[in-house]
Amino acid sequence: MTIEETAWIYILSYSGALGLILLGIIGMVISRHLIRIILGLMLLEAGVNLFLITIGYRANGVAPILVDGQVPAAIMVDPIPQALVLTAIVIGVAVQALALALVVKTYKAYGTLDTQELAEKIAQESGTRIVDGIPVSLPVPATRQLVEEKSA
Amino acid sequence: MNAIWLVALPLLGAFLLPIIYRRSTMLGYWTGPFILLVNLAIAFEIWRSITPEQGPHSIAMGGFKAPLGIVFYVDKLALLFIIMVVLGTLILWLGNKIGKIREETLLLLIVGGSCGLALSGDLFNIYVFYEIVAVASYGLAASRGTGAGYAASLRFLILSALGSSLLLLGIALIYAVTGTLNLSHLAELAPEHLNNTVGLVAFALMLIGLGVKAELFPINTWVPEVYATAPPRVSALLGGIISKLALLVILRFLVLIYADNTEAHLLLLNLGILGVISGELAALRATDLRQVLAYSSIAQLGLVAIAFAIPGPAGIMAGTALALHHAIVKPALFMFIEAWGGQLSRLAGAAKVSMLNSILFLVLTLSLVGIPPLPGFWAKLLLLKGALALENSWYIFAIAIVLIATVIETAYFIRIARLMFQHDKPEKPVSALESRELAPALALLGLLLFSALAVGPIGKSLTAVASEAADKNVYIEHTSPVFHESFKSSTKP
Repeated sequence: MTIEETAWIYILSYSGALGLILLGIIGMVISRHLIRIILGLMLLEAGVNLFLITIGYRANGVAPILVDGQVPAAIMVDPIPQALVLTAIVIGVAVQALALALVVKTYKAYGTLDTQELAEKIAQESGTRIVDGIPVSLPVPATRQLVEEKSA
Repeated sequence: MNAIWLVALPLLGAFLLPIIYRRSTMLGYWTGPFILLVNLAIAFEIWRSITPEQGPHSIAMGGFKAPLGIVFYVDKLALLFIIMVVLGTLILWLGNKIGKIREETLLLLIVGGSCGLALSGDLFNIYVFYEIVAVASYGLAASRGTGAGYAASLRFLILSALGSSLLLLGIALIYAVTGTLNLSHLAELAPEHLNNTVGLVAFALMLIGLGVKAELFPINTWVPEVYATAPPRVSALLGGIISKLALLVILRFLVLIYADNTEAHLLLLNLGILGVISGELAALRATDLRQVLAYSSIAQLGLVAIAFAIPGPAGIMAGTALALHHAIVKPALFMFIEAWGGQLSRLAGAAKVSMLNSILFLVLTLSLVGIPPLPGFWAKLLLLKGALALENSWYIFAIAIVLIATVIETAYFIRIARLMFQHDKPEKPVSALESRELAPALALLGLLLFSALAVGPIGKSLTAVASEAADKNVYIEHTSPVFHESFKSSTKP
């Protein structure tokens, strides 16, 4: 392949990685459904992995494997990012499995996967209320009154 | 003794624990503390072997030399944090219920991961240990087994997983620019390759990633939720002890890779300032003891971040002192939330219920605020002295914020103290602490009072630790002899 042809591989691969990362983060931020948030997380991790692989890519490179103790004549791709990605994929799978297990447990407890409904139900359960998205203990002025009575 | 055992023993113990529990419950119950005690002995032994003449040393995994192999760098700063983790976990083990196999397994995993995090001299290795600590802490956060606990743990997981993906992205960026993951090799290449926008972006990404655990400003929303639902021991461990390890890694990056990069220091400084303000104000507004402690922990970690953002040994010394002090006081305070959690108004007249508990609480909070004879004062004084010495307007601003925050902190703790001591007719009195919660709190208080008496020697050894850790040439010299030569020849002319 000529230089121009390999340049396209880099451009496509890097923009793919960047796109996946942005898509993942946007997905995690804007969705309210827990499963979709976890899907966003998966996209993000895939994007980071693709980015790592692209770093190690060399144009016209061969797999970095010694045959009969001989170094291949052609250029080899960088093996370190491949080793890193392998580890990162395994960690990612484990974390996603744990996340899904927690989703199942949460669904069994509250019967919803919508983050906003979930927050309200939890707040009701613990006797707090949601003010501007922050759980606040009820009743707020009680403590202050108590303190003022004491000082008076 | 080899420092590898500090990581290997807890990991081995974690995997063997379920098998030992099948044989005998009592044997299983004592396995964890035994491993931690051995770990503590090894850590002290290595600490003693690091003399000023010999200096720190490094261990190459499997005999592969840096930069190809993975290196553990053993210096006094890392050992200090390891002793903090192991001793803290051991104290929190006091009065633990028998038969909690899962929690004990995760505790050992978290100790092993944290020791690795403190020792590792390789970027990707740091990522792996960070994930071990993170996964173990998700499990611990959900270990109460309530619905709210699962939901809080899930939110923690999502935020933390987002963070560690960004950490990996930052590491990938650094690898793309320099082609190495070894910290001492990076320390050498950084002035040339990473003192630019790409380096700063990589630092920001890694800061966000590690900041989730370190409770840094924008990514700490999990803190109040998790600490409100998790068992007190878990809150104590995560908030008081494990969060410091992430800050230690950030400090290593700053010292080794971004030593000349002022923007990187200012980034951490600003996140620290925002953490202090937001944490203290939220704690002032909170009406629940659990939330007060959670927000105050965010603010205290902000203080440590401010200290670590001060370049040079003064910052490291102040940050380490603040971190160690907080690691003693906050776990002890978290022991109170099982009995005293909930509305602050419940605490009215607590002194009438148990004078000992109230005085214990008061002494701990006074030290947290920084009242002179207690160690918290010296830690804050070190921070102020370190920041003032720089004569940089950003750091002067940070001092102003720290002082204002201290006033706010005093206000809300004194408010609680007044409720406890000045009210004599409790309507719904809180119960006194159970002995199994009082035991760790008293042990930590003993440690606090001991350090108050031994301020002189502690300060002296902290100075030695900080000056050793602040010099990146010492790090390079002791991790990679090959690059050490090239480094000397490149800096001589």
